[in-house]
This record gives sequence, C-alpha cells and structure tokens, in this order.
Amino acid sequence: MSALSNLLIPAVLFFALGFLARAIKSDLRVPQDLAKVLSIYLLMAIGLHGGYELGKAELGTAVNSVLWAIILGFVLPLIGYALLCLTKRVKTMDAAAIAAHYGSVSAGTFLTAIAFLDNLGISYESYPLIMLAVMESPAIIIGLLLASWSRQRMVATTTVSGGAAVMGNDNGTGNGHMSGILREAFTNGSVILLIGSMVIGAISSSSSMSKLFPFINEIFMGVLCLFLFEMGMEAARRIKEFRKVGGVLIAFGLIMPLIGGLLGIAVGHFALGLSEGGITLVAVLGASASYIAVPPAMRLAVPEANPSFYLTLSLGITFPFNVVVGIPLYHYLATLIAA
Amino acid sequence: MHRLFPEKLVTVITSDVLEDKLVASVRTRGASGYTILRARGAGSSGEQTAMLDIDTNIKMHVVLPPERMSGLLDDIERLMNKGYHMTVYVSDVSVLGPEKFETAMS
Repeated sequence: MSALSNLLIPAVLFFALGFLARAIKSDLRVPQDLAKVLSIYLLMAIGLHGGYELGKAELGTAVNSVLWAIILGFVLPLIGYALLCLTKRVKTMDAAAIAAHYGSVSAGTFLTAIAFLDNLGISYESYPLIMLAVMESPAIIIGLLLASWSRQRMVATTTVSGGAAVMGNDNGTGNGHMSGILREAFTNGSVILLIGSMVIGAISSSSSMSKLFPFINEIFMGVLCLFLFEMGMEAARRIKEFRKVGGVLIAFGLIMPLIGGLLGIAVGHFALGLSEGGITLVAVLGASASYIAVPPAMRLAVPEANPSFYLTLSLGITFPFNVVVGIPLYHYLATLIAA
Repeated sequence: MHRLFPEKLVTVITSDVLEDKLVASVRTRGASGYTILRARGAGSSGEQTAMLDIDTNIKMHVVLPPERMSGLLDDIERLMNKGYHMTVYVSDVSVLGPEKFETAMS
C-alpha cells in the first residue's frame, strides 16, 4: 500500500495521464518541439544543481564514481548482448544496438527517481549525477564495437560474393566512420550540456548561483511534469508496436532493468558506500535505457539494426516499467542493503 | 510563353541523422544547392513522428543538371547498401533561369 502511495506524485501521475490520453486516442497534442525544449531545460537545471552541490563534495568519491560509471557503462551492454544472443531469436546487429541502449541512461527516469526520493523526504548524494553525465558515452562505444564485431563475424560466415563486396566497401570507410562516431559519443549534445552546466554550477559564486535557484529548483518539478506528460504519450505510442517486437524482446525489456538495477545497487553500496537515496539513484542509472543520446548514434552507426526494436524497448517497455515498478523496487532493495 | 529548361530533381526521405552525410555529398558532387524540410511519416523503420530527436525525418530536394546526377546517386546508393533506410526518387522538372543550377556550391 505504501508503495502505491509513493507513486502518487504529480510527475508520475502526469506520465500516466499522457499514457492514458494516447491509449484512449484523445486528440490531445503538444507542440512539436516541446519535448526537445523541455529536455534541454531539464539537463541544464539538473547540471547546474548538481555542479553546485559537487563544488562542495569530496574529490576522491567523485573520481571513484566516474570510474564505476564507466565500468557500468561497459559491462551492462556486454551482459545485454550476451543475453540477447543466447536467445538465438535476435539478429546480432539488433542485439548490439539494443545492448548499447541498456548501458546508457535515461535522464527522465533519473529525474523521476529524484522526484520520488524528494517526495519521501530522503536525501541523496550528488555523485550519481556525475555518473549520469559519464554513462552516456561508454555505452555508445561498446555498442559500436559489438556491432563491428558482429559485422566481421557475419562477413566470415557469408561466402556470397555480393554480400562480401558490400561489406568490403563498408570496411574501407570503416575507420573514418568509427572515429566520427567516437567523436559523436563524446560531443553528443546532451553530454556537452550536462557536463557544461555542471562545470558552470561548480565554479560560479554562491551568490550568483542563488539568483538562479528559482530557475533550477522552484520550477523544476513543474517542468518535469510537462516532460513526463509528453513522454507518457510517446511511451503509449511505442507500446502499440509490442506485437512487432515479440515476446523475447519484451521479456528482455523487463529483465534487463532488473539486472542493471541490482548491479547498480551493488556498485552504490559496496563500491561507493552511498546512502539509501544515493544507492537508489545508482540503481536507476544501471536499470534505465537511453532514449536521447544512443538512438541517433545507433541509427547512424548501425543502420542494419531495426530502430523500431530499440525504441520500443527503451521508450515503450523499460521506461514505463522503471517509472512504475522499478524505482520503488530499487528503493526498497536499497533500504534493505543500507540497513 | 515562359522559357523552361529541363533539370533533374532528386528527392531523399530519410532519418535526420544522415543530414550531414547527404549535404557533404551534395557539395562534393557539384550540385548548386539543396533544400531540407522536416518530415514525418511511417515505414519500414516504424513511425517517425518528429516529436523527439530520435524519430525525426528529413526530406531533401536537390535540383541539378542531368549529367551531374549520377555521382550523387552513387553516394546515396552506397548509403543504402550499408543498410540505411531511405526513400529516393528522381523526377524530371522544368526550371526557370537554368544558370543558377550550373554553378556548384562554394
């Protein structure tokens, strides 16, 4: 019962409203660029806020959390890829692209978790925020490596001359392509905005930062409501493609966040020694799947994979699962392990 | 009667992540310019609603002299062979003032 009342926060309820509006085919529409504008605001506000807090934090733990964020970002896609390949029902290129999404993070889920913790009055450290910024890039890189490895394996197993010629062509431009994508992984818009805002928040004087508090604190939850409202509609639209995706992938979209969440809890508790709130946030980082930075990167770098698979999974299945079931569950497990 | 001249119109509909590649190819293949519109629709890679960055399509128009078209089409075909989802078609168009289509972009 208390788990249910924890979900009765406006941000989650607006997510449900957006979902419902789309499910009952309401004519409700939001302006086309609203979600893009809101996500810029959210990244900027959370970056400034976190940077301000980090200015007061310990360097050692900060470096440690960056290290663990990179490890999580590399390990999670490998687990996901292995799981998907073991099912033998998913094409390897699809598996590589999907796995990359699960190593990366969803800022929307992370912010919902913050709203959840705020609602319960639980404090949390600012270290998970650096991890949020760091985890976008490693997952993209490992996804690319998995994809090019699968591509080579495919070439090795195909003896069809036509196929080999196309692949050969690919490899010829492969290097320039790869470096371009790597550059993209690190210069990705959301990574730059988040890290840049954190730096600004950390080095700005306290008095000038306090003038920004209405912008980054007071209106934050309201904007998050708007954003989740829109994302609820997007999730409902994606979930319609359920049937196309198939049972194996749906099961993956529900099991993978649990694995990531448990790994996140372990990292938050044993490696970083965070509080119950901090552990919950690291769990959410491990559990969530990207739908901002990774999909365009995969679309560009792994054209062989079907975008509707990875988008349906990350946005239509894992995101709602984390918002409704995952966050309270990870928090419950975090309280158990922290106690 | 207006003086009209025959040119080719190449239209490409694809994900906006390919914009940079397409523009680069339009430049190197000697076209005089291009126009890009934001597009939405649905097809083999699912619905593209243009609501999020991740599902925005573009529609690119390039008008160019017939003899310069094949290089551009080669580049586009190479992209398609890599697996990118694209809708590409070529139409015959008549233009006013053909001079502007003769000079390549700087």
